[in-house]
Amino acid sequence: METEIINNTSGIKKTFIILIIIFSVFIFYYAIMSMMSPARKLSAINNEFSVKPAENTLVDERIFSDSAYLKLLKEKAFLQSRIVMAETDSIYLTINLTDSTANIEISGVVVHKAKMSSVQTSKILIKGDENIILSMLSSPFTISNAYATIRKEPVMIKMAPKDTTEYKPDIMPDTSIVEPVNYILEMTNGTRIYVYQEEKEKFSDRMNLFIFNIKDRLRDTWSSLKSVALLKVPEYHPFIKMRLPRADAKIIYRAIPRYGQVGIYR
Amino acid sequence: MGNGEIINEGSQPEVEKLHRILRNLLIIIISILVTLSLIIFILFIVPVLQETTSGHKTEITNNQEFKQDASYKKKISLMTRDIQLLSRKYSAYTSGQSYIVINTTDNRFFLYRNKKLIREGFCSSGSYTMLQTEGDKKWIFKTPKGKYWIHGKTTNPVWKKPDWAFVEEGLPIPSKDDFSRYEYGVLGDYALAIGDGYLIHGTIYKRFLGMPVTHGCVRLNDEDLEIIFNTLSIGSKVYIF
Repeated sequence: METEIINNTSGIKKTFIILIIIFSVFIFYYAIMSMMSPARKLSAINNEFSVKPAENTLVDERIFSDSAYLKLLKEKAFLQSRIVMAETDSIYLTINLTDSTANIEISGVVVHKAKMSSVQTSKILIKGDENIILSMLSSPFTISNAYATIRKEPVMIKMAPKDTTEYKPDIMPDTSIVEPVNYILEMTNGTRIYVYQEEKEKFSDRMNLFIFNIKDRLRDTWSSLKSVALLKVPEYHPFIKMRLPRADAKIIYRAIPRYGQVGIYR
Repeated sequence: MGNGEIINEGSQPEVEKLHRILRNLLIIIISILVTLSLIIFILFIVPVLQETTSGHKTEITNNQEFKQDASYKKKISLMTRDIQLLSRKYSAYTSGQSYIVINTTDNRFFLYRNKKLIREGFCSSGSYTMLQTEGDKKWIFKTPKGKYWIHGKTTNPVWKKPDWAFVEEGLPIPSKDDFSRYEYGVLGDYALAIGDGYLIHGTIYKRFLGMPVTHGCVRLNDEDLEIIFNTLSIGSKVYIF
């Protein structure tokens, strides 16, 4: 009887140890695959946006790293992107990482300006080849998905009264409710724009942001785990994270169409 | 002696029991710590590690000798010309005429003339209320966003009440041109049509200015409305966001 118990215990131990080993190996494999993903994304960007000069035009390659040329190229890329957006007659967002501003524009008219208090950019967008990244930024990004702590359209349903006795005139809307404003705009090319409210004065605001971030990380990890389980390198999402005053963050989120466009100046 | 033996025999299993409890507790604590570390590793450390992977950064140069090169100068001048053309094209989008910008989130308006802000203030825009009947009829009261223009200007406008105005008050819907559809004095002294039945007009509910309370139109106070009416002409742009 005692031998049986000892055998069972050692069996459980063995299984436990084997599981731990398998799990550790998987985690290690997951980490390696995840670390490979930015390089893969960068190479995909390079393949898509690398500029090959025509064979008949002899260009001194030194120009591609010249400071004056790159400065002009930046201007040109941003203007090209803004013109494409302006021609759509729709509302669009322009982000200027150099002077830390986020503007809403409609057909070339800046209708709202917001100043970022902080901005963090994915290394891929900073450390990538300048010419390739600027070529990528010369076209606007299109929003494919959004996750937010506020609703885009705060629709309230009101049932029509059956007759005049049921009719109640509208009361003044309650404007004292201040919701925390944090959101992620996901672009069709995989880039993500994180907008967080600047104000963190209340515990509930901090908690809301923490939960929002955890949800995002879990969503990301789940999708990466699925890719890794299928022996694929998970998708890497270059990002721009910015903090804006709550009011500005809310205005931008509510103004930009669901599948709106974003132009970036770097 | 006999008593002592009894004590020893009884405490042995108790010590073993305590030992087992402590061991199990330790295993549980270690398991929780390991799980937590793994979660932290996956959720927080892996994304940080991803960011350490660097690409090939362009080494920016400022070679003065190269800047004297004719081909360099030509390329830079071509690029400058391109930028000037693009800038001119982009500036042309901004109307030199008067235009109005309406912010529906903050319920504020901004009036511009010759690209300069000449007046700003509060307005009221769509309430985002969805009025539903027991049948299938639905109306959503929101101000449309985007680029619009002034289609028409009216003084002393009369409000021709649409169906929802009756449904909202629990009244039967009258025929299309019934006299009960016409209401005088509720739209203020002026109205500017921006298309699809939406108007910029005055209001008798001035205490609601700065709030989202309308059925989609933009309401203003009397003074602001008069200035806007006199500044904007038919064709002037209205930017709503």
